Amino acid sequence: MKELIEFIVKAIVNNPDEVVVTEEQSEGGVLLKLQVNQEDMGRVIGKQGRVVQAMRTLLRVIAAKAGTRVELVVM
Amino acid sequence: MEVVVLKEGKPGFLGLGGEEATVRVLRRQSEEERQAAVILAKEVLERLLSLMKVSASIEEKEPPEEGRALIFLEITGDDLGILIGRRGQTLSSLQYLLYLMVGHQLKAHVPVTIDVAGYRERRQEALKNLAWRIAESVMATGQPVPLEPMPASERRIIHLALQDYPGVITQSIGEGEDRKVTILKQG
Repeated sequence: MKELIEFIVKAIVNNPDEVVVTEEQSEGGVLLKLQVNQEDMGRVIGKQGRVVQAMRTLLRVIAAKAGTRVELVVM
Repeated sequence: MEVVVLKEGKPGFLGLGGEEATVRVLRRQSEEERQAAVILAKEVLERLLSLMKVSASIEEKEPPEEGRALIFLEITGDDLGILIGRRGQTLSSLQYLLYLMVGHQLKAHVPVTIDVAGYRERRQEALKNLAWRIAESVMATGQPVPLEPMPASERRIIHLALQDYPGVITQSIGEGEDRKVTILKQG
């Protein structure tokens, strides 16, 4: 899951070297935390959260296959 | 180069009252540029699918005439319902992210449409039939009928299906995920 988000985010930001994704196991499933350069915040969130929402939708496919839940937060 | 006139200029009189014309200059993508974009889009999509642990193959096809896509990629394989998702939401998300990734890398606007095993074509036919059926009942009853929320590409199919249908008009109402088309009697 971490790899998917890294791959997508690095391809849409201006500072790919500053993309950090961490994966934690929480009680409800997997928690992904995404950090990017301040300048790239708008690109990963998108208008009305459209970009981050699309990433969450794709994550749900993997989570469903693995029988778990996943949450993605932008820090 | 392609030049589109947005606003006609005026010559003015004795150098007074003239107006500059506004034009937009578009650089037409050459076939080589398009091919390079196709290769990149395919690579990116392949990687996305493998990271999503979906095994599938991707084939480039001729973009449908009614759409605005420059590139059309079709995904085929087994068990792809999961890639379409509820109301095609997963497919839309995948297409949107692919568009952003390719666009960012090429520094160009490259509209990419992706389809899963003919889903979009089937959906388009179903939406057209729905639009015509509802338009008929709106004409009969005079009552406006809101459709279920749909993504922009699907709302567009409804609008286009009814643009020449006499006596009814279509309107999109609502924001974001809840935006839906309402079909109503004209006047």
